[in-house]
Amino acid sequence: MSPRPSLPWFRVGQGWEEGASGPCTQASPADMTTQPDADSLLVDRIRRGETQAWDDLISRYEGRLLAFVESRLGRRGPSEDIVQESFLGFLNSLPNYDGRRPLESYLFSICAYKLTDHLRREGRRPAVPLSSASDTSGDWQVSDSARQASSIARSGERKELEVKAIAEALSEQIERWREKAEWTKLMCAELLFVRGWANKDVAEHLDITEQQVANYKFDFIARLRTLVKRQGLDEEVFPELYEDEA
Amino acid sequence: MPRITQSDLQAYLDEALPPDEMAAVEAELRSRPDLLRQLALINGRRDAGVHSVGEIWRRLRLSCPPRQQLGSHLLGALDEGQAAYIDFHVRVIGCRYCQANLEDLRRQQEETAETVKTRRTKYFQSTAGHLRKKS
Repeated sequence: MSPRPSLPWFRVGQGWEEGASGPCTQASPADMTTQPDADSLLVDRIRRGETQAWDDLISRYEGRLLAFVESRLGRRGPSEDIVQESFLGFLNSLPNYDGRRPLESYLFSICAYKLTDHLRREGRRPAVPLSSASDTSGDWQVSDSARQASSIARSGERKELEVKAIAEALSEQIERWREKAEWTKLMCAELLFVRGWANKDVAEHLDITEQQVANYKFDFIARLRTLVKRQGLDEEVFPELYEDEA
Repeated sequence: MPRITQSDLQAYLDEALPPDEMAAVEAELRSRPDLLRQLALINGRRDAGVHSVGEIWRRLRLSCPPRQQLGSHLLGALDEGQAAYIDFHVRVIGCRYCQANLEDLRRQQEETAETVKTRRTKYFQSTAGHLRKKS
């Protein structure tokens, strides 16, 4: 059996699958101003079978989904087919779609899933073992964090709480940087954590000193660690926040 | 730009890297079984419930500018700091979702109404039957 593609949303019980329910998550800043209430109403109307609402949703989102797919495939015809499949996938998953989940992100996640599947069928994207169970390399015990985490038994609800807590802390910090126009700090944290760049590369790119990068990183991690502790969250599930202690 | 990072591999699994970087990772994967093992390890960590701050940030799109702001950016209506950040987010971070939104907004100014209508009609006609079945 070929492995299923990974999903661009929470992996644990939170990915998009036809027939699966989406997670309850807060709206991202990018979605907040795409009128989540309007989206929610639109979805309600679609659930009632209103064709005009479905037409409206297609009009609102097809352009960005097509741009997303076409940027990767480079061919209009197959890209339109994938967008079409994504809309079908959305309808098929609609009974279980959690309306509190940002619609745009949900549609992008379906689209990415369909795109990944297409690329795999074309042979462009190598199959990746889904988990330790499907790996035969014998290298599974090399990671301390993975070994620690494998012993952590937590409910899906607990995992969502962990994500929600960190997401709220991150959102608060990002908003604070934005309000104060501290763009360099925001860029620094984004390069370090989202792109995983080393301090040296970040310093060079942003034209600041490595010491400044280290200071920003220290402050940022300290804030997140405080929150993890305050929320009573398990430190083992956020290993990167404690790497310096190892 | 640095070589492929762990965060890049996480984003690769989610189809979230910019297209040229996705292709670069795929090319590397063909000759480097160690990278494939790293990807499997990431999947294993996810299954085990280990969180990455960067993954949460990226997946929840916590720093993505609103679409309206992207539109204002195209019109050159943002202040220097905001504009520089959006350029950074789109080009350096390589946010695929914001890239797609920007491209869509650009195309809206270029495509003919007829082209767009034809495409949307095709989507609607090929899916609306499912809507009725589900209702």
